[in-house]
Amino acid sequence: MKEIIDVTNLNFSWGNNHVLKDLDLNLKENELVSIIGINGAGKSTLLKCLNRILKPDSGEISIFGKELSNVDLIELSKHISYVPQSIRSNFSMDVFDVVLLGRRPHIQWRIADEDREKVSKTLRYLNLEEFAFRRFDQLSGGERQRVIIAKAVAQDPAVYLFDEPTSDLDLKNQIEIMKRIKELISVPESSKSALIAIHDINIAARFSDRILLLHEGRIIANGTPQEVLTRKNIAEVFNVTSEIDNMQSDYIRIIIKDEIDENKKTNKTVIL
Amino acid sequence: MDSISEKHIENGKTQFLMVLILGIITVFLSLFAMGQGSSSNLDMMSTIKIILGLDSATELQSDIIWKLRFPRILMAIIGGAALAVAGSLMQGCLGNPLVSPLTLGVASGAALGAAFAIVLGVSVLPYSHLAIVANAFLFSLIVVAIIIQLGNLRSISAESYILVGIAITFISGAVVSTMQYFATDAQLSQLAHWSFGSLSRPDLIQVQLISIAVLGLMPTAMKWSWDLNALSIGGDEFAISTGVNPAETRRNILILSALMTSIVIAFTGLIGFVGLAAPHMSRLIIGNDYRKLIPCSAIFGAFLMVFADTLGRTLFAPIVIPVGIMLSIIGGPFFMYLLLANRGGKK
Repeated sequence: MKEIIDVTNLNFSWGNNHVLKDLDLNLKENELVSIIGINGAGKSTLLKCLNRILKPDSGEISIFGKELSNVDLIELSKHISYVPQSIRSNFSMDVFDVVLLGRRPHIQWRIADEDREKVSKTLRYLNLEEFAFRRFDQLSGGERQRVIIAKAVAQDPAVYLFDEPTSDLDLKNQIEIMKRIKELISVPESSKSALIAIHDINIAARFSDRILLLHEGRIIANGTPQEVLTRKNIAEVFNVTSEIDNMQSDYIRIIIKDEIDENKKTNKTVIL
Repeated sequence: MDSISEKHIENGKTQFLMVLILGIITVFLSLFAMGQGSSSNLDMMSTIKIILGLDSATELQSDIIWKLRFPRILMAIIGGAALAVAGSLMQGCLGNPLVSPLTLGVASGAALGAAFAIVLGVSVLPYSHLAIVANAFLFSLIVVAIIIQLGNLRSISAESYILVGIAITFISGAVVSTMQYFATDAQLSQLAHWSFGSLSRPDLIQVQLISIAVLGLMPTAMKWSWDLNALSIGGDEFAISTGVNPAETRRNILILSALMTSIVIAFTGLIGFVGLAAPHMSRLIIGNDYRKLIPCSAIFGAFLMVFADTLGRTLFAPIVIPVGIMLSIIGGPFFMYLLLANRGGKK
């Protein structure tokens, strides 16, 4: 498989807080890779460095063999689309026009019929056609999240960077959106891939080709869901006990049991 | 083409028609306004004939139209359009609906310049009338230069621009107040008159120059409409992922809108409300898509300005109430009504 993104020795700090430490990572075509880790592990920071929203302290990031910082922003947005968890704004538009913004890197000023068709197809693909002419700010959080995902899909990039794409979605929509993302990047001739920061490890286990376990700024495990989602790794990173259900034929399920009491581990006495 | 795409095209056509109707109304209002005044009332047909040179008007009629009313109405149209577009651009690139062309301190800079000329007699130009204009323009350009410098800072946010603008407003206000404290009654009166905002000051040549400058800048505003859509709807991160550089875009758009504001208010004095209200009224008609919002704001701004000025000239004729005052008195309640009516039913 051809490599799309290659990251070496990436470092990023927020002031004195060293968030990403000498991080290495690569992303190949037709691959869905999930990044998991606790709050503050650097998942979102990593995604933002890959889309030039944040500038790393040091390290190299290349896309299709080209150094990221040398790629023009319009050109970059044809290759990469970053999907934030949510967007807050004082102004609003019809859903169709928000999704149409995904075509902006591909057009000069005038909207061509193909761009409208692309938006319509995307809205239908993500079951959003009934929302097409509703105002974006009048939708629920989950509906809005699907619209932002639709904008990224209409953008037609090689790499999707999703930051918690299912955080606001109900159970059915979580499965549906992940299936659609998986479908999009599984088309062999499309050469697409997705990097997804996600908290739900069962969603990650079910849909990922590869999982990266990010802990204290470093990737401490990188492999298939079966390789990464072990009881030991989960306990070490998330401080919870768990059981792994391997009974399913095609994916594992993780049942979280209980938190590991830090005080018992260190024999601390807590006075309330 | 599928039904969703067709509906999108259909919606676009309806919005275009609404803007066109507003444009036609503004043209007729302007022609009507040109005939109205304390000295001589003309009906709309006679005005059109005089303007097109089809009718042999008396010398007095011709002078009233060409020397008094035409420059005034043209100034209203161009000034209203420029301030409304500047307001809509600033609101979009700063992601803040409370912003108007006066927020960045451009107008306070202009007021400071005017005060220097009126109270201290210090000006870049020696001629008395143009001295105020030149000073106002120069001082507002100093504020534009501050905006450019701010834009060069690495991580300047939308809020920082607004806060610096407020600081500039306070500082300029304090200096102007100090000058007022020591000013003579005549100077105070002149300063107060400048700050009311009036369309009668620039002559035909000046209005033509202002029009060329404003019309020259408008296409640049249109060019940035996609970038403004991304910035105003989704903020900086969303804009970057759409291929827009938020810092650069914001800086360029603020410079453009500050320039448009400076060009107008240096000649007219302080006119603020149109830059806040016209963009919002336009949003209620055609939404937030800047490809349509910019032209719609321009037309709405022109309409409001011509309407308010005509009322100001005719309501208590021969006394003329400055357009800045009329805009706030008439436009304010109308603006509030539109906003509240769109908030839906009672609780």
